[in-house]
Amino acid sequence: MSAETHYDVIIAGAGIVGASVAWHLAASGARVAVIDAIGPAAAASGASDGAVSVASKKPGPLARLASASLLYTRELASQGVLAGAFHARPSFVFGQGEAELAALDALVAKLRAISGPVHVTGDGPAAQLACLGPGVERLITLNGEGHMPGHKAVRAYLSAPGITPIWPAPIHGFDIDDRGVTVHLADRRLRTGHLVSALGTATTELFPTLPIMPRAGQLFVTDRGAPGLLPGSLTAAAYLVAKTEAPDVLPLPPVVIDPLTTGQFLIGSSRENHADPNRVDFSTLRRLMERSVRALPLLAERRVIRAFAGIRAAVSDSLPIIGNLPGETRVTLATGFEGDGICLSALVGREIARMVHGLPPTDSIAADLATLSPARFVDARQEAWG
Amino acid sequence: MSDPVLVVGAGLAGLSAAAELARAGLPVLVVDQAQAVGGAFHRQPLQGALSLATAAQDRRWSDLMAKVAAQGSRITLALATQFGGVDHKGTALLTGRMNRLFRPRAIVLALGARESVRPRPGWTLPGVETAGSLQIRLKTLGEAPQGRVLLAGSGPLLLAVGAQLTKLGSPPVAILEAGRPFARPLTPIGLPRDYWIEAAAYLSRLMLARVPILTNTRLTAIRAEGGTLVAEASSGRRFIVDHVALHDGIRPNDFGMPACDVLPVVRLGDCREALGARAAMVDGQMGGAALAARLLGRTAPSADPELARQTRAQARLARIYAHDVTAELNNLPEDTVICRCEARTLKDLRTLGPTPTARQLRLDGRFAMGACQGRFCGDWIARLTSAETSKPGIGAPRWPARPIAVADLLSATDETEGETQ
Ligand SMILES: Cc1cc2nc3c(=O)[nH]c(=O)nc-3n(C[C@H](O)[C@H](O)[C@H](O)COP(=O)(O)OP(=O)(O)OC[C@H]3O[C@@H](n4cnc5c(N)ncnc54)[C@H](O)[C@@H]3O)c2cc1C
Repeated sequence: MSAETHYDVIIAGAGIVGASVAWHLAASGARVAVIDAIGPAAAASGASDGAVSVASKKPGPLARLASASLLYTRELASQGVLAGAFHARPSFVFGQGEAELAALDALVAKLRAISGPVHVTGDGPAAQLACLGPGVERLITLNGEGHMPGHKAVRAYLSAPGITPIWPAPIHGFDIDDRGVTVHLADRRLRTGHLVSALGTATTELFPTLPIMPRAGQLFVTDRGAPGLLPGSLTAAAYLVAKTEAPDVLPLPPVVIDPLTTGQFLIGSSRENHADPNRVDFSTLRRLMERSVRALPLLAERRVIRAFAGIRAAVSDSLPIIGNLPGETRVTLATGFEGDGICLSALVGREIARMVHGLPPTDSIAADLATLSPARFVDARQEAWG
Repeated sequence: MSDPVLVVGAGLAGLSAAAELARAGLPVLVVDQAQAVGGAFHRQPLQGALSLATAAQDRRWSDLMAKVAAQGSRITLALATQFGGVDHKGTALLTGRMNRLFRPRAIVLALGARESVRPRPGWTLPGVETAGSLQIRLKTLGEAPQGRVLLAGSGPLLLAVGAQLTKLGSPPVAILEAGRPFARPLTPIGLPRDYWIEAAAYLSRLMLARVPILTNTRLTAIRAEGGTLVAEASSGRRFIVDHVALHDGIRPNDFGMPACDVLPVVRLGDCREALGARAAMVDGQMGGAALAARLLGRTAPSADPELARQTRAQARLARIYAHDVTAELNNLPEDTVICRCEARTLKDLRTLGPTPTARQLRLDGRFAMGACQGRFCGDWIARLTSAETSKPGIGAPRWPARPIAVADLLSATDETEGETQ
């Protein structure tokens, strides 16, 4: 390598995916730099809920990869790096009305088919949890999932030795030659042997032909109260449906109520096609709150102190993009995680690190991972984005 | 019936603007969180309470109220009503006595200034409050709090509150002024005559009551001790008191309001620029007339030179009271609380490094994550870190303008239903 090469690997983007990739590479002895336009967890990873959830994943590769990532996340939490970030807890999915009750049947069937780390430990009336109200007709209790605030994971990953943080420093472009990659910042250039792009919605700034679009989700935070009233997240079954169908066919709004360790509640979220983090509206808040209060009446005594929108990176086929740029072994993409990036980040970091080292993917997930390769878009340049 | 213009704040600026808007033929809804009109300056006493206002102040206020009354039903007033914010669709939320979601034709924000209080050890103790809120209490209740009061910080408001306490028979133990307003006798000469008259009235009352006014003196720390407060001054003196009222100047109120593309939102009075009572009335009038002209497609009235005069006067006042705040901040002990809502200290702030991003401040540090969302601590956090990196995210322009009770949100009459989004 030439004397100019500064880093073995440069990771573009200090979101949870970039941070996980950086940690895995640094742990394997590579000299890595993480560059971010703003700073750590500046985009989706710092503006999301942190469900590490299999229940909410589409059946198929995504649900299987999420199971594998959940297991691996637990391992990283017990071994150290994610100890303060991930915390295991039960999760609850509830339904009301025909469409949602059917979605709950499908959920039970899906989890049985995966026979993975998540188990149904309760299925019945709302009475399983004392705090629930009349908006819950049937409640499914799950064991095995957990919660991980994105910013905590990012901080944990990036505090490892061997990672050079570079921010605020927007990347304007890059050139590939046969010895490495030159990354262009506003005031300088950096050389690296390998570039990993984990830019979320901003991926299209460097790779304009990829069919990635922003999908905003409004989130609302209440004031503090006694913690522990709700032992885990409470998700409306409509949320599972929303992930596969157009949201406006839903009879009731998809809502997730997440109890935070501070005793606050995080309530979300909508799915809107724009990228403005300040676009929050009263009618969405009211719609989500009406349903939330019927499910969890104690919320009526809280106050909303904060409202914001997180911006997810959605791909035209609703699957993430993970793998080498077609025809380029020096550039790897990891983006398009939409509402699943917190959950998948541990596994993705491990697998990208293997790719960078030229190793094959972990056997058990190799086939599922292959379906996420950017190669599926080589001919997509002319395809209309619907 | 056409949608009303929403005026938030029933003080000098808000009601002056309301009168002008209504005079142009527009329906106006004025809301205020307080139980009585008057804003900060002309807060009206509760029924039966003693009024602290001078005859001239009373005259100004009753003139304005007469103008408002002359507009009859074109102006609706809703007190004990909070403005929760306006969203990008132009929907505004009101909670409290008037509880509705609706789309006003335009919004005038006349929320008054934000009072600024510099963090110092003990500033969050019970018994410590801001001089501004103490003054509002004096004006509404017409009586002084029980026990000894110490006033500290900087700015002319300290003299006003001191004089008012004295008038109510309870002069403050002392006034600690960090600046040296009397040290440059030539600077005040350029102030308008009415400033002199007001200051002279306050000072003579304070001197008659022998209230010590200690300039170039900072209140460095407050401790709670055996049911009282012990306040330490930079001069080494100690004061044992029951109440401490702090005030470190006022700032315009630019917090929490997003730009709204679908309707005009204007800020008037101290809320736009903290220039004091005289300017607020002029600004309200001018701004109200200009907004009416804009909404009705007429030509805007020309600017009133009084506003420029008040801007110059306030700049001069700022010079008179100037002192080194940076040095005060740099000398704070590590355990000083900076973010009151989440009890985050200077030490917590330092662990985030010299130039934390807004996200790091909020998510890793939990600064400005509580009920005030940075309204009170944002400026200090910006000054204590790197202003460029922390400013945009702390106190971002988003509603809620204040915490919204979920029950109020759900019980609001929704007048936007069925309208296109
Ligand atoms: C409302 C909401 C709720 C969610 N809830 C969950 C959940 O419960 N569970 C779950 O698993 N997932 C959830 N997600 C999804 C999850 O947050 C994302 O999938 C994940 O954070 C994506 O991480 P990332 O690292 O790919 O991208 P990001 O976190 O978006 O990171 C991209 C980074 O790139 C940087 N960048 C951009 N442009 C440039 C440039 N030119 N140069 C340098 N740097 C640049 C940005 O500043 C940013 O830091 C949610 C998302 C939202 C919005």
